[in-house]
Amino acid sequence: MYGDEAAEVYGALLRSLSVVLDERVSPLSLALDQGKGEIDKPRRVLFEQGVCKLPHASVLGGMGVPFGVYALAMELVGAADASTAMSLGIHNTVAEAVAKFGSMEQKKRLLPALLSGKKLAAFALTEPSSGSDARSMRTTAFRRGGNYVVEGSKMFITNAGEADVYLVFAATGTGHGAFLVEGTNPGLKVGKALREKLGMRGSHTAEVRLVKCTVADDSLLGPEGAGFEQAKQLLDSSRIIMGMICVGIARAAYVKALAYAKGRDLFGKKLSDMQLTREKVANAAIEMSGARLLCMHAARLKEAGKPYSSEAAQGKVFATEMAVRTCDATVQLLGGYGYTSDDVHRHLRDARLLTIGEGASEVLRMLIASQELGRES
Amino acid sequence: MEVISYSEDGELAGEVAAAGLDVARSLGADAVAVELDAVSAGLRSAGKVVLLKGERALEEDADSAAAAIVEVARARDVRAVLVAETKFGTVVAAKVAARLRVGSLGKGRRLRVDGGRLVLERDAYGGKYLAQVAAKMPCVAIVQAGVYEAAEEAPGLLETLSVNVGDPKVATVEAKRSQRAEAGIKSAPKIVSAGRGFAKKEDLALARDLASALGAALGCSRPLSSDLGWMGEEAHIGLTGAYVHPQLYVAVGISGQLQHVAGIKDSKVIVAINKDGQAPIFQVADYGIVGDLYDVVPALTKVLKQG
Amino acid sequence: MNIVVLVKSAVNEAELRADPAGHPMLAGAAAKISNFDMNGVEEAVKQKEKSGGTVIVLTLGGADAKKAIKEAMAMGGTRGVHILAEPPDAPDSLGTAYLLAKAIKRIGEVDLVVCSEGASDTYQGQVGAMVAEFLDMPFLAYAKKVEVVDGRIKCEHGFDGGVRVLEAKLPAVVSVVSEANVPRYPTLLQVMVAGRKAIEDVPIASLKGPDYPETGMEVLDVTLQSANRKRVLLDGSPEDASRKLVDALKKEGVL
Repeated sequence: MYGDEAAEVYGALLRSLSVVLDERVSPLSLALDQGKGEIDKPRRVLFEQGVCKLPHASVLGGMGVPFGVYALAMELVGAADASTAMSLGIHNTVAEAVAKFGSMEQKKRLLPALLSGKKLAAFALTEPSSGSDARSMRTTAFRRGGNYVVEGSKMFITNAGEADVYLVFAATGTGHGAFLVEGTNPGLKVGKALREKLGMRGSHTAEVRLVKCTVADDSLLGPEGAGFEQAKQLLDSSRIIMGMICVGIARAAYVKALAYAKGRDLFGKKLSDMQLTREKVANAAIEMSGARLLCMHAARLKEAGKPYSSEAAQGKVFATEMAVRTCDATVQLLGGYGYTSDDVHRHLRDARLLTIGEGASEVLRMLIASQELGRES
Repeated sequence: MEVISYSEDGELAGEVAAAGLDVARSLGADAVAVELDAVSAGLRSAGKVVLLKGERALEEDADSAAAAIVEVARARDVRAVLVAETKFGTVVAAKVAARLRVGSLGKGRRLRVDGGRLVLERDAYGGKYLAQVAAKMPCVAIVQAGVYEAAEEAPGLLETLSVNVGDPKVATVEAKRSQRAEAGIKSAPKIVSAGRGFAKKEDLALARDLASALGAALGCSRPLSSDLGWMGEEAHIGLTGAYVHPQLYVAVGISGQLQHVAGIKDSKVIVAINKDGQAPIFQVADYGIVGDLYDVVPALTKVLKQG
Repeated sequence: MNIVVLVKSAVNEAELRADPAGHPMLAGAAAKISNFDMNGVEEAVKQKEKSGGTVIVLTLGGADAKKAIKEAMAMGGTRGVHILAEPPDAPDSLGTAYLLAKAIKRIGEVDLVVCSEGASDTYQGQVGAMVAEFLDMPFLAYAKKVEVVDGRIKCEHGFDGGVRVLEAKLPAVVSVVSEANVPRYPTLLQVMVAGRKAIEDVPIASLKGPDYPETGMEVLDVTLQSANRKRVLLDGSPEDASRKLVDALKKEGVL
């Protein structure tokens, strides 16, 4: 994909990351799902490693690695700990926003901190009454005396409460704007952490309310009114990553399924000798390869500066639904143990979010169909 | 022709002397056990013994020991130099081989003669494979403990030679013997071994109780001696530690990594206790109990005490 | 200080497969930097950070040994030197030591040579001492703690049932054990920068002199050791299982 010499370096990067994930992140994963352990610990390890620097240009403090390599890295992180992967993926989307749409001053002010992980970011687009229908958001931001005042409510925000900076999307009258709001802003109030999440328990999710939240002019990312278009682009990018994270989650479950099948005896044979088991294994292998390739295809288009919305949506729809199927098949394979072990069913519970978040499958199918039918949505 | 054997450890000197005798017989040569500074109390050997003395203690450092052995090897028609495996012995063997510019077969078990070559059987690739390695004689080989049985007789001292070795390049500033808390692992007939399944050092008391009920010595896998420091290095059993050959080996809370298993392969009966049914130790055990060691070990100890 | 650290690209024994005859399939087998060598590299880098200087990563091995050098460089090595030796020509420990020593002499002023207690795949622990002999340098083995002060090296060593503190004048060769340090995890940036650095290739022919030792060492056979164990799992409550075990052991004659 990348030419021999470069591929060797990227291969070394991913191998080195694998070792760090195996030794310092994976061992913490189950405890995080069970509500024990520090959420920030695995994230710190990956910030130190420089995962968030990967796709950014070196002039901005990044490593200038192709987006596809970053996506492959996020697959590995997803396999090690899904919650941490999602938390970092979303953080990186905000970093991408600043890198892509920010002014020189905004980039200087925020990028070093975001890339090194000194500051954690959150992406606030979804609202209590508008998830899929983002355009109908009710959060507003109007100019008042040389500042913007943001009012509204955002929901299901990952990293809420921990983030140092929130990228808040609001209707501005002229369209929408994306505002960088400091976590310390007295007008930004984080609600109680959502405690009944099915999965992704190793990350903080909460409501975020903007109450007379005053932000300076230079909090606006890019021109006023451009917010919705910016959100679309950022989501396109993020969907590739969410898809790859799901490939990772599927693989984590798959590995456990294989180990169990090889060790389990029944009817005088091994579970792995049974035809129906083999069918499940083959399907999982086919689908994981397919999902990875679809997502990487979108990544390569993005690298080449070509349009990739539909491809990213295709990758995300397929990978996330595949992950749910594969993780579910893993629980089925492990039978009673699968049903009664956090360590097995957490992969299914983690994957289950991603057919909903970052573009529900239904919405993405509409996007793909619109493109196919040749109409603007 | 002569075959030289050497160990700074009295017990192992007897074993490696038996190895020397075995090889010498195949060659029709004489077996010579080399002792440095003084003959070890309790040395048993059926061959000749040559005592080397110098101006200072020769066994104080590997340089001097190697130099002394090299002097003897050069002066006589020595076909092989066999050294018993200890850390010290490993270094001495390497130095002797380098100074004589002959091959070192490394550490292994059985030796045999094949034409003009000495063949050593040794573990390879983490202990999963067995390799037969040959070198032309003269050469050096390191023999692991417990492979050859020391002879019965206490030898008569035959020759004392004085050797002239240069000054050592390395000075010993301090030498401390650690309290041998877990002695005799290498020759223990029964061993209980503890691994990472134990949550804290104090919990090793459970393993000690079991060992005591069995009349067994206590050993451990590498993490407990090196990373955690809960037990001394001499208790460490494995590829890079002691190779043991007991009648009974009970692995408690040990996952069974290749590196550990390499050291226990010669056990007659291996028992494994581990809460992870998938742990590789169960593949190399004769009997296994899948369960929490904190439940199983006290239960087992109790059953043993009830007789 | 100019430090040379010796690393070996070892076969990844966890991934090594056997053919139907039980022989290891070495051709193309996955290799990794020998685990213990990571401690060697860490020690070398630590000493460099303390006293300044360079760390040269030296290896003898086939083409895939470059990966091991790059891993070491990512941890803080300055540059790499690779003596090319593909498997059929791979020398034994004495030949390896001879070639490594020659390469070190070519490097020039070297203050310290660091190696590990042994390679993770073969674990013979001979090369370090032999390199010291060829270089006519002091050899400090199995060091748990290394200190360099004023051109002298002082180490704490774990030796068969004891601890010794040894000292020698530099230049010297020291082998470290895994207790000596915790190898650092390089950041992705360090891996990338190391990955792009060139490594010096040294053909064996340029180092082999007429005094190269021919030991006639040959591996006659390597075969899988079969476990051949009973693998009986005893179930039931801890008490039940224990009773079954004791009965079985009595039958085995070991109790």
